[in-house]
Amino acid sequence: MLELLTTPPVAVTFESFTSVDFWTSVGILAGIYTIFTLGLQLNVGFTGIFNFGQAAFMAIGAYSMAILVTEANMSFWLSLPISILIAIAFGLIVGLPSLRLRTDYFAIATIAAAEAIRLFALNARELTGGAQGKFGFGDDWDSVSDTIEGWIVDIGWPDVPTLFPLFLVVWAVALALMPVLTRVQGTPWGRVLRAIREDEDAARALGKNAFAYKLQSLAIAATLGAVAGFFLALNLKFVVPEEFLPLVTFIGYACLILGGLASYWGVAVGSVILWTVLEGLRFLDLPLSETRITALRFMILGLVLIGLMAFRPQGMFGKREEMVLGD
Amino acid sequence: MEAGTLSPSRELTPAERLREAANRHPALAALAFVALVVVVLIATKGLHDVAQRGLNGLSLGAIYALGAVGLTLVYGILRLVNFAHGDFLTFGAYMAYLVNVTWGLPLVVAVFWAMATTAVLGIFLEKVMWGPMRARGAGMLQLLLMAIGLALVIRYVIQFIWSTELRQLDVNRTDTVEFLGLVIGRTNLIVIVVGFAVLVATGLMLRYALLGKRMRALSDNLDLAETSGIDTSRVILWTWVFAAGFAGLAGVLAGAITQLQPELGFELLLPIFAAVVLGGIGNAFGALAGGIVLGLVIEWSTLLIEPRWKTAIGFIVLILVLIIRPQGIFGRAKAI
Amino acid sequence: MTDAATPASGAPPARNGTIFEADGVVKRFGGIRAVDGASLGVREGSITALIGPNGAGKTTFFNVITGFYRPDSGRAAFAGREVLGRPPYAIARLGMVRTFQITKALARMPVIDNMMLGAPDQPGERLLNVIFRPGASRRREAEVREQAMELLEIFNLTKLADEYAGTLSGGQRKLLELARALMTRPRFLLLDEPMAGINPTLGRRLLDHMQRLRAGEGVTFLFIEHDMEVVMNHSDRVIVMAEGRVIADGEPHEVRRNQAVIDAYLGSGTVTETAPGVPAGGEDARGS
Repeated sequence: MLELLTTPPVAVTFESFTSVDFWTSVGILAGIYTIFTLGLQLNVGFTGIFNFGQAAFMAIGAYSMAILVTEANMSFWLSLPISILIAIAFGLIVGLPSLRLRTDYFAIATIAAAEAIRLFALNARELTGGAQGKFGFGDDWDSVSDTIEGWIVDIGWPDVPTLFPLFLVVWAVALALMPVLTRVQGTPWGRVLRAIREDEDAARALGKNAFAYKLQSLAIAATLGAVAGFFLALNLKFVVPEEFLPLVTFIGYACLILGGLASYWGVAVGSVILWTVLEGLRFLDLPLSETRITALRFMILGLVLIGLMAFRPQGMFGKREEMVLGD
Repeated sequence: MEAGTLSPSRELTPAERLREAANRHPALAALAFVALVVVVLIATKGLHDVAQRGLNGLSLGAIYALGAVGLTLVYGILRLVNFAHGDFLTFGAYMAYLVNVTWGLPLVVAVFWAMATTAVLGIFLEKVMWGPMRARGAGMLQLLLMAIGLALVIRYVIQFIWSTELRQLDVNRTDTVEFLGLVIGRTNLIVIVVGFAVLVATGLMLRYALLGKRMRALSDNLDLAETSGIDTSRVILWTWVFAAGFAGLAGVLAGAITQLQPELGFELLLPIFAAVVLGGIGNAFGALAGGIVLGLVIEWSTLLIEPRWKTAIGFIVLILVLIIRPQGIFGRAKAI
Repeated sequence: MTDAATPASGAPPARNGTIFEADGVVKRFGGIRAVDGASLGVREGSITALIGPNGAGKTTFFNVITGFYRPDSGRAAFAGREVLGRPPYAIARLGMVRTFQITKALARMPVIDNMMLGAPDQPGERLLNVIFRPGASRRREAEVREQAMELLEIFNLTKLADEYAGTLSGGQRKLLELARALMTRPRFLLLDEPMAGINPTLGRRLLDHMQRLRAGEGVTFLFIEHDMEVVMNHSDRVIVMAEGRVIADGEPHEVRRNQAVIDAYLGSGTVTETAPGVPAGGEDARGS
């Protein structure tokens, strides 16, 4: 520890910030987390349920796809909708016993469920590959990616990064989802969700089956989590339990709060900013070991959460009353 | 009033009558259930194995109970489950490491140092963070996310300073003690003795000391406590002293029988939650009982399942409690 | 009751004119029996007041029969169907709708959204319809909005239609709560202290509207109230609860003279004011 105090200050390089590869990588992560956090926005911002198990749905989406492709020899494209159905099924399994609980108990229950799923993935070696995980599911995607890469080169950009097509597709999906969700939010169905967020008993007294609506909200979040899981798997080219720690959900919440609980578009802004910071810290040439840099990144994440909650709980685009009067 | 359109009443079935009885005397029901499980295990696996694992279960249970008591006590203050509590355990463990290994002082000193510094951390955070947020009327989501942020900060500061390298306290890991045909590691035994001594003292304090009664009143219902004239700010500070102090102790004990790494506390947090929920949130005695029961159940489960699935038991207990009886053994039922 | 005024719930008409009965309802909280065997019946199309000293269990009783509390024992039936123990949304859908003592205005939603939420049979509230039948939803929204504005007009809240409900005053929220409940086209409306916090003029409008609904559409009202003037002069029947039980049930002038009722109120230290000029808490020496 003392060594940190005696090392002379070093010039920090910002070289990586001009690299296209860096921004592509940041962009993909931000896009994945945008899709992931759209689910949280639906749950927390618009239904009032504190889903802290979103990482589980990401895991289920990624693992289902990987297992179906590598073990069941299913077509990659077919595995996607089936994996979504599996994620929805899990959403219902988790939601049915836990959605009638109080808000903070529900948060505990969802974290517990998510950890249970992660530990299962870690220990059920025959099915999930244990700590080594699953890989080799990306061939179908690779051919699509190559095709897109070819188009871009033809347009006139010979140095396009290999991951750029993934970046485009992730954001195409994210940008398509946001207006759809916003539209659905404005329907009478969305109105019932907001009523449940405001006062569940009032909604019930008016004949709304609040439980069913919360279940639907969770199922949709599960779908979005699963889709984010697909893209995560394609980005890493492998699926391991370590990628689905509770930390992942906490990062999602940071993106959510940064953008504010008011809109789906804000989620994208929050994700981009947060991931620029998180990845940026990784690429700064600091004279620190890798574990130290990791520690620094997540220390800052923690401070961001604390700071936002203390000084600007509504984030960038939310309204203050919405958060402070919360509960 | 006209003759009823109501249907005639019906008798309760035996199953429903049993359920009614269990609901009226939850502690006895839980005890009966545990006794039943023990009897079945002894019959099928033999007394020696059950007793041997039971000992391990007691040391694990003591750690859980110490963590759970603190968590449930601060529940009344924060009105939510403190996600950062696990990292108090980690903090305590590493403080002990600092004194015991880095500075080379005896473990006893390290334990006191760990408890004291963690208590100070608890008070500091109350003054700087929780108190002001409560005064501002912060909502549950705000406090929840703040606790999560705090958990991250504590854990990763520890990781920054001590890295993820596995570390160990300077304790004797090889010596064992034998009695009644059972074998237990010396350190394990010390954990049980120290843990239970503190737990018993805590139980007595909570039951009979004025401060203890006030702390219980507070953790059960802060508003009610305030209106009944208790000087809540003092009691709140003392509650943090005990809660954080015990967490620190639990962390040291855990570190003594396993190894230190930054995730130590967070990994213990979910079983501690399970213990708290099992005992009934806000109920300190429930937390004590819940912790010990959970420790025993987890160790006894190894008689039936592979050890690597041990951690799943904590989740299963948590989920079962939340489904069957969310208010836990000692908690009060609420309206629908 | 004409066909045109058939309430939305479509439940069968009650036998013998009784639209709601409760028998031996019990609700315990720990050792306390908040409702201790309450039995009563409400005639269809009546305006019935439920009164009693503080702690009599009136609101708890409401909560139990509308599904918000799980009962410990007893039975209750609405329009011939068992309702005790059913979830609150199901009871509301049958046409038995309640308001709350402490209003539950959905604060961060506009008043008009609060209102439109109440309307039944909005296909757009089902997710599948949102995806596959958007047109049906739009049409119903237009209808619902019109109904909502009409009701807001009656309660003098039109100007506030687009304001967040959280910005309304206490009295305005009470009105919104009632107007919103009316949007559900109820057959049986249970109001928990509807007059509290409302100025007399507006209170009069409310009562007039209740009479109109009763006369025109046969809506039954059961309301908890402490204002004796309202109770004595505007209700057909009065039911009195004390210590979790029903101790009197009859016309206002009968109940006023009932010794058990007087004792219950005197015993709890609450003085009843029956009408201007009548001595409080005691029998009118001249009889009436």
